[in-house]
Amino acid sequence: MRRIYLTIVLLVALCYGAYAQRAKSVILVYLDGGPAQTDTFDPKPEMGRNYHGNYKGVCQTNVEGVVIGEKLPLLATMADKYTLIRSLTHGSNAHETGHYAMITGDSSGGAVVYPSFGAVISYMMKDSYKGILPCYISVTSANSRFNEGGFLGNAYKSFDTGGKPESKEYEVEGVVNKHIDRKRMDSRMSLLRSFESLEMDKDVIDSLRDINMEFIWGESREIFDLNNEPDSVRQRYGKSRLGQSCLVARRLVEAGVPFVNVRTTGWDTHKKHFQKMNSMLPDLDRALSALISDLDSRGLLDSTIILCGGEFGRSPKVLWEAPWNGGRAHFGAAFSYLVAGGGFHGGKVLGATDKTGEKVAKRPVSPCDLIGTVYLLMGIDPYGTLPHVSEGELPILPSLLDSKKSHGLLYEIIDLKKPDNEK
Amino acid sequence: MKRTFLILIVALLFPLVQATASVRCSDEVFLRRAYLTITGALPTPNQCTAFIDDQSADKREVLIDKLIQSELGLKYMQMRWGDILRIKSEFPSNLWPNGVQAYNRWIYEQLMNNVPYDKMVQRLLLSSGSNFRSGAANFYRGFQKRTSKNIYANINLLFLGNRECTDNGNLCFSQIKYKSTKEWKEEIVYLDIHKKQPYQDVVLEDGTKLYLRADSDWRTTYVEWLTSPSNRRFAEVMVNRMWYWVFGRGIVHEPDNWHPDNKPSNPAMLKNLTDRFIDSKFDLRALMKMILLSEQFNSLPAPDGGYLPQRLPAEVIVDAIATVTGTWSTYTSRVPEPFTVYPPRTRSTHLGDATVSSSELELFGKVSRDVSLESQRNNTITSRQLLYLMNSSVLENNIRRSPVLQRIYIDSPDIETIANKITLLTLSRRATRSEIDIYKKHMDKNQLPLMEVAIDIMWMQINSNEFLYNH
Repeated sequence: MRRIYLTIVLLVALCYGAYAQRAKSVILVYLDGGPAQTDTFDPKPEMGRNYHGNYKGVCQTNVEGVVIGEKLPLLATMADKYTLIRSLTHGSNAHETGHYAMITGDSSGGAVVYPSFGAVISYMMKDSYKGILPCYISVTSANSRFNEGGFLGNAYKSFDTGGKPESKEYEVEGVVNKHIDRKRMDSRMSLLRSFESLEMDKDVIDSLRDINMEFIWGESREIFDLNNEPDSVRQRYGKSRLGQSCLVARRLVEAGVPFVNVRTTGWDTHKKHFQKMNSMLPDLDRALSALISDLDSRGLLDSTIILCGGEFGRSPKVLWEAPWNGGRAHFGAAFSYLVAGGGFHGGKVLGATDKTGEKVAKRPVSPCDLIGTVYLLMGIDPYGTLPHVSEGELPILPSLLDSKKSHGLLYEIIDLKKPDNEK
Repeated sequence: MKRTFLILIVALLFPLVQATASVRCSDEVFLRRAYLTITGALPTPNQCTAFIDDQSADKREVLIDKLIQSELGLKYMQMRWGDILRIKSEFPSNLWPNGVQAYNRWIYEQLMNNVPYDKMVQRLLLSSGSNFRSGAANFYRGFQKRTSKNIYANINLLFLGNRECTDNGNLCFSQIKYKSTKEWKEEIVYLDIHKKQPYQDVVLEDGTKLYLRADSDWRTTYVEWLTSPSNRRFAEVMVNRMWYWVFGRGIVHEPDNWHPDNKPSNPAMLKNLTDRFIDSKFDLRALMKMILLSEQFNSLPAPDGGYLPQRLPAEVIVDAIATVTGTWSTYTSRVPEPFTVYPPRTRSTHLGDATVSSSELELFGKVSRDVSLESQRNNTITSRQLLYLMNSSVLENNIRRSPVLQRIYIDSPDIETIANKITLLTLSRRATRSEIDIYKKHMDKNQLPLMEVAIDIMWMQINSNEFLYNH
């Protein structure tokens, strides 16, 4: 009898474990344009100059057998905190389709446009999330190449902060406006109130304006204000756009925001690739390592997923010829992502590419596998559905249901066990 | 006797009660409403004063005619068609910039020549050829799922008001084929009319049977049936769509959801307009004019009937703010073939491509043109939109550095003149006495210099419901 009772308890606990929310937030550090995996997370030093280009060396990380690019020494000291996925693949070499794949997990070409995974999380948490800050925030803006909200519509799109977090005053759109202090704002609002006479949605609008006043002058203002951070911390992240954006992301996650998209541009290096990487990689190294270690020391890494990568990688072979003169082309066949926190293991490498880095050699990972795993860790059923205005309920990740497109959720590198009934 | 008397009194009073239900709007209100509805643009201060001062009795009708035929009117109408025909460079339509341009040009030509609706639909549905050369062929090019079922369902949605299909109506579109050319993204839409198919009978929505003959374009048979005056639904859906374009609410609502259970709110009016539309041989301009001359369009908002105020569409709000501040966004197409920068001061209503956007347009709900539904446009006001209007530093700077506001400030001796000029520009009317008092009080109480008051007035008016709504 007792045994049966125990078994039931165990079963309930297991079921709960399978669907419980492991992570509370996601930070996507998005390297827009497509970063070179061979210069970052999947170096090929033995392939000669036509492949490794100017970066012959590597960094030995603190995890035995794992090496990363020579320009990432700080990240090399903490490989036990993250896992490298070296076998992402979607085969698309165009920005818009690659971006669509990495942000929605869907393969483009279907009849419906899927929402970004930030929007999906925002939709799924619409009732449970009660914070004053928006559920899905982009620092400083989302890629507008496609409709972020997809078929879910505008309400779940990201809130773009705009502004320059690296400047003295980070003017968050709609929140911080350096010309207007509280007193001036109050006087403007009372002017507006005494003027407004027409009835149109007046009650709704008035109450929304009140909420906004709280938003503008309340806690959120303090959260966005980087002057609340000691200068040493700001230095640690780097005083660049990317560095300070990552710091903003940490502050937002601390405040409970479920999805933060740190989008940084300039990674589309067809020409002068190595000259550009000489400054961009140290910048990334500083920002990302600071973010991981800072979240870790605050005890937030366990509940925060960090993802870092772009819409695709870059060709492992360097294009030395004119007009590229040392560039790398778009490459969607095999590329890397760094994942950390929120239930993702540290110190591992998932998948591998072949000798040249041009093909996936082991454990291919599709965008839907990665995003589905993020959903799983966020307590969202990756096999669930979303409502479409004319098509009814659609699968949240259609590619995950297609064995030609999906290679399985990433159970190898997360804390959750694969349920027995899942193929 | 007494009873008859009572009935008589009620009968006499009734028309009076009816008449008070809708009050004719003023010329100022009408002018703003007509400009925003027909052209998607604010009237200029000169247009406002000229219209208000015009004494002729038929000035509303004259204005309607002028605006419908104007470049702005045609372009705004082109945008509405572009929304439901999903004109967009990238997915899901994937027309690419060359196709987008050809398609837009084709629509503009139809509208400019006021091609009758039945003719326009015939040209659209019987199109073929290169997507870069034959604009209308982009109708077939723009399908991701290029099955005859999907094409047929979309045609039903566009022209008959829902996606419901009969078992084999899609056969009419089963001859459509695509072939690529050597030109990048150029594709030829053609018909395989010799396709080996047995002699076919097709049953359509209203039970009509069509006979598809071998060696012929089967679309022709369908289109003849679709666009015939005896197919009332075809005309009704267009009448309802036009009503929706004007009022933001269909007589049948949503306009994409025609269904036996979804009854028209005013069947008599729908019937009357449809009769007149068919009698006019499907004249689209005449249809719009008919609706704009209706009592509903000419009345003040009222709880029962009258004009229904509606938040301005995203593109219209963004253009209106640009007009008022004199600062326009720069739009670019990032689809690299070729990378395009639109000329300065391009209206967002004229972009013609849903792939081209801005954060403001996204914020206010520009249509992404992913589906052919009118209901994809959401004009509900949200807290984020209000947040932008209240406290955006971009908007603040646009007002502060506004060349228009500088001009007004330089040209005006006092707050009264400033207020009048801003109000005419922003709200298309003159400032009232009491409003000017409010502004003066604001200036005195807060000890603000005149230019700062001017900035506050412009900020306040942009934030007002009167600006954000068509009313």
